[in-house]
Formats: sequence, structure tokens, C-alpha cells
Amino acid sequence: MTPSFESAPTPAIDVAGVRFAYGDIVAVDDVSFSVDTGEILGFLGPNGAGKSTTIKMLTGQLRPEAGNIEILGMDMPGQREEIQARLGVCFEEKNLYLSMTGRENLVFFAKLFGIRDFEAEPLMERVGLSARLDDRVSEYSKGMRQRLMMARALINTPDVLLLDEPTDGLDPVSAIAIRDLIRLEAERGAAVLLTTHDMHEADTLSDRVAFINQGTILTIDTPDNLKLAFGQRAVRIRTRQGDGVDEQVIPLDETGAEDRIRDAVSAEGLMTIHTEEATLEDIFVEFAGRGLAG
Amino acid sequence: MNLRRSSYVLGRELRLSPRSPLVFFAIVMPLLITFLVSSVFGSLFDVSPKLAIVDLGSSDVTAAAVELGGIETTILPDVATLLQRVEAHDFDAGLVLPAGFDAAIAAGEDPDLGFYISGESLASTRIILAVTTLDLVRGVEGSEPPVIVVVTPVGDEDFVPISDRLLPTMVIYAVMIAAIFLPAASLVDEREKRTLDAVLVTPTRMSDVLVGKGTFAVVLAVILGFVTLALNGALAGQPVTMVLILFIGSVMLMLIGLALGLWAKDITTMYTAIKGGGIIIFLPVIFTLFPGLPQWIPKLVPTYYFLQPIYDVAIHGHTLGDVVPELLIAVAVSAALVPFVAWVARRSERHLAMTV
Repeated sequence: MTPSFESAPTPAIDVAGVRFAYGDIVAVDDVSFSVDTGEILGFLGPNGAGKSTTIKMLTGQLRPEAGNIEILGMDMPGQREEIQARLGVCFEEKNLYLSMTGRENLVFFAKLFGIRDFEAEPLMERVGLSARLDDRVSEYSKGMRQRLMMARALINTPDVLLLDEPTDGLDPVSAIAIRDLIRLEAERGAAVLLTTHDMHEADTLSDRVAFINQGTILTIDTPDNLKLAFGQRAVRIRTRQGDGVDEQVIPLDETGAEDRIRDAVSAEGLMTIHTEEATLEDIFVEFAGRGLAG
Repeated sequence: MNLRRSSYVLGRELRLSPRSPLVFFAIVMPLLITFLVSSVFGSLFDVSPKLAIVDLGSSDVTAAAVELGGIETTILPDVATLLQRVEAHDFDAGLVLPAGFDAAIAAGEDPDLGFYISGESLASTRIILAVTTLDLVRGVEGSEPPVIVVVTPVGDEDFVPISDRLLPTMVIYAVMIAAIFLPAASLVDEREKRTLDAVLVTPTRMSDVLVGKGTFAVVLAVILGFVTLALNGALAGQPVTMVLILFIGSVMLMLIGLALGLWAKDITTMYTAIKGGGIIIFLPVIFTLFPGLPQWIPKLVPTYYFLQPIYDVAIHGHTLGDVVPELLIAVAVSAALVPFVAWVARRSERHLAMTV
């Protein structure tokens, strides 16, 4: 199957002022953002921030109470079926048919997408599960199930990928494999919206990140811009001095900073040099007044 | 609604059914109940007395025996075969009619009549066959019996044996497990494990899923209901009528099953609802078992309108035309259930999306 995103307008996802409430509890309020073709947007926020609710509005599971959603130039939920045919969704929960094999799971969903003559092997090869193709999913490990979830999300070579905590609770090897897959999909041209509360993942994967807290987007920018804007431009240098350790912080914007760094590096007993840029979590705390773990 | 997608859901249900304990239960349970009821009340293993005849002439006794209802008569070529097969208990008794038997009887002679009884035959069967043989011979002789036995029924003339009254119980079990339990449990399971979420973010709609699951339930329910009726000898020579009644009843119960599966928040709630509400589904069965109870009460329950036609056709020999009024009510109930199921489905889909 060849990707069909060439004709998709930019941005691939365009969300304007959406709102959704669970009864009296407002989960998402006046949220606006866009994701371009081939871009990865990381939705970064703690549990209950409104990430999954936003995804559910994009998939058509929930109907926004206010605002507009356009995906690939089509209205959601007005053109729900047409959009869903071009969406790939990876849920946080591993909602696979456990009594079916990996192959049967993929073939069933391929049929639902109307894909004829679907071959499961190449996709399972991509996620490193070709050896377990005909094993029941109930026999898969947690990491293998997550990789199968990713494979399922890619069945229809989607133009838009919506990934809800795709590496949550995974071992480092499985997490790296899935992140590599996400990068490749973005390089192919898919627009990727990735929700996570893992700031490292958001940092390494995302072209831009959106901080979401209590149903509202606090800011959207590239990780580098956020770090530059909110972090401290400085290096921390530690050197051994006899039996003790000397530590100095050199602000990069200060006059003579280059010389001081050069001297420190060429001095004997150099132990470590660290940049003092802020992490995304630090910046999130600054915006939200709370951490990502909550 | 997209029938092609529904067929994929149906295909998945069919493919997975051998791996499902509930489907196994649905298939085995009605057969087990039939076996138990038939064993206790003796309908499954009730067989007609079997009589073998070797006619060395061309006696009218043979023709009359073949015409008899309630006795299985087989003509054998020679006496040696007859003796061998009666001894092997292929037949309960064997009758050898010598050449010129009818003429000898008519002449008032006393010809030989060989009557051989299998050692393994039941005492009641031996008596039936012996008395029947004497009656047949008397018929050839043309003599009147010395006494006239007047048969006077006592008690309820419309009495139906308990084994027949249990027929609706067996049918409702067969149909209910397949038509209510299977789609309900399957839907609850998909909602609990969130696999339905994954299906509903593809272009598949809830209606496609419900049609696929419902079709599987109806097909299995009709097959199991038909097999149950056949095992109980209750098709009454009207298999097509029975399939039609079973289909209408299965659709009605399947719609109840879908509504239940969409409504129940988990499998425990579903079973609690079935335990509590099962009495409504089973009510007609109780009133069939105890005909002395006021018979207007089960008419308040939807299942009456497919169980009663089955009972009337199987036991009372009614035809399709006789049971059309009840069947129309069953169809009307099903038609009323469709928008209700659609409403519960919309509510369930929204609830599913709003549940974390």
C-alpha cells in the first residue's frame, strides 16, 4: 500500500478551541494546536491533564462540545469514517485480542480497514515480532504486545498517527525500538501526535512539544527553544583540588566566559563538565507549578 | 452500516468460537439437558418393539404387521437368519409363518406358528408383540374377540406427559445460551478489555459490530434449537416451520442479549442481571410444566410468543398457519427492540469513550 499523504493539506491536524467536560469536570478547555505532515508533536503533561481526552476527540470517540477539529483537511466528527480510514491509533491500554495470534490480530484489523491481500509478515518484521507471528498474543510479553500495538497502528500506512503513551512502562530496549519506529513514520511523512508524561521521550522524539495541564495548553514550542527560553545558559565544571573538589558555574552570556571555560578545561584535575540547560520537566514545573509525575 | 465489515466481525466470532469456553458450554449444555431429561423420562431411548417375520407363503399377517403403527416390522428371507438375528437381539421377537398358513387358519386347522423371543428383550415388549401377533392371526381368521374391550380415558384427556412438557425448557436453554449469553458476554468482554475501542477507531461502526455478533448468535441458536428438537423427536414433520419459529425467537433473544451486553458494566453485572431477569425469560416454561397455573400470565412475557408456537407445533400438531398470530407478536417485539438496542449502543459507545 502506498502512502497517500502527498495530497494532504498542511497542517495535517488542526485543532481550534476544543472543549470537553465529563459532567462538571472540564477535561479539555479551549485547546488549539496543529501538527504538520512529517512532524512529531509531543503532548507533555501529567496524568489527568487532558491528553487522552484530546486524542479521543481526534479519533472520533468523543465529540467536542466546542471548537473545531480538522484532520487531513476533513472535519472530525463530520467526516469521521473517511478520517479514520487514514488514522493509525496506538492506545495506552494494550487492547489486543489475546486469544488470537499476532497475525490474526493484524489480518482482522486490515480487513476492517478494507485492505485486501494484506501480508502481516513485513509489518511484524518491522516491529521485530516475525518469529512470534503465529503465537497467541496471550503468550507475548508486555513489550511484545506494545510492539504489536504499534504494528496494528501502522496497518493502513496512516497519514496521521495518534500515539497515547506508546512506551509507558516498557523496558529500555522495547522503548527504543518503538521510538525508532515513530521516527521512521514521521520521516515517511506521517503527522504524529504523541502523548507522554516522559519528558525524556518528548525531548528526544518531538519536533515540538505542547505542555498541557488541567485541560489547557500552557505553551507549544521546540524543545530547544523552550530550553533556551527558560533554562540557564551556563556550564558547571568540577575539578579535583588536592583532596577536595572545586566546582564553578560559568554563565555563557558573561564577558570572558570562553576564556574561563578554556582555562578550566586545560587545568589539571578536570572531572566533569555539564551544561546547565533546563530539562523539559523543569520548564513544565515553571509553567504549571507542578511536576509531571502527578 | 457496512455488511462487509459485519461479515468480518462474524468471521472473527466463528474463527474464535472453538477457543471460547462459553461457545463450548452453549453447544454442550442443551445436548446434556436433552440427554438427562430423555434418560430420566425415557424419550431419547424409547424405541418401538422390533418384530422380524419370515413368511414362507404369502400370509395376510405379514402385510397387516407391516401396516401396524408402533411396531417396527422387518421381513427376513429365511428362518436361520431370523433365529440368528433374534438371538443377537437385533429384533425383540421373530415370527415364522409356514406356507399355506392363512388357508389352514381359514379351514379351521391348527397350523404351526413359530414365535421366537430374544432373551434380552423387555418383558413389556414381549407382551406387546405376543398380543399383537395373536390379534393379527385373529384378524386373518376373521373371528371376533370373545370380549370387547372398551377403552375409557380417565383424568385429563388433554394430559401431556412430563417429557413433552419439558420440551420448551430444553429449547429455551439451547436458544438462550447461544442467543443471549454469547453476544452479551462477547460485548462485555470487548468493552472490559477495550478491544472495542480499537475496532471503533477504524472505519467500523458499532452497528457493524452488533450485526456481526448478532448474526453469529442467531445462527448458532437456530442450529442448537433445531438439534434439540430433532433429538427429542419434536420436529413434528415440519422442519421448515420449526426453523422459522426458531429464527424469530433467536432474533428476539439476540436483541435482548445485545442490549444486555451493551448495558452491563462488567461480566459480574451481566450474570447478576441474567440471574435476576432470567425468571422473565423462563416464565412460559414454568407455566408449561404446571398447566394448572393461570395460563394468561406467561402471555405477558415476550419469550412466550416463540416457545408456545414450538410447543403447539411439536406437541399438538399445529401448523404454521395456526401459530402465525403468536409469531407476529414475536416479530413486533423484536422490531420494538431494535431502536432500543440502537439507543443503548449509542449510550454505551459514549460511556466507553468517557471511561479511562
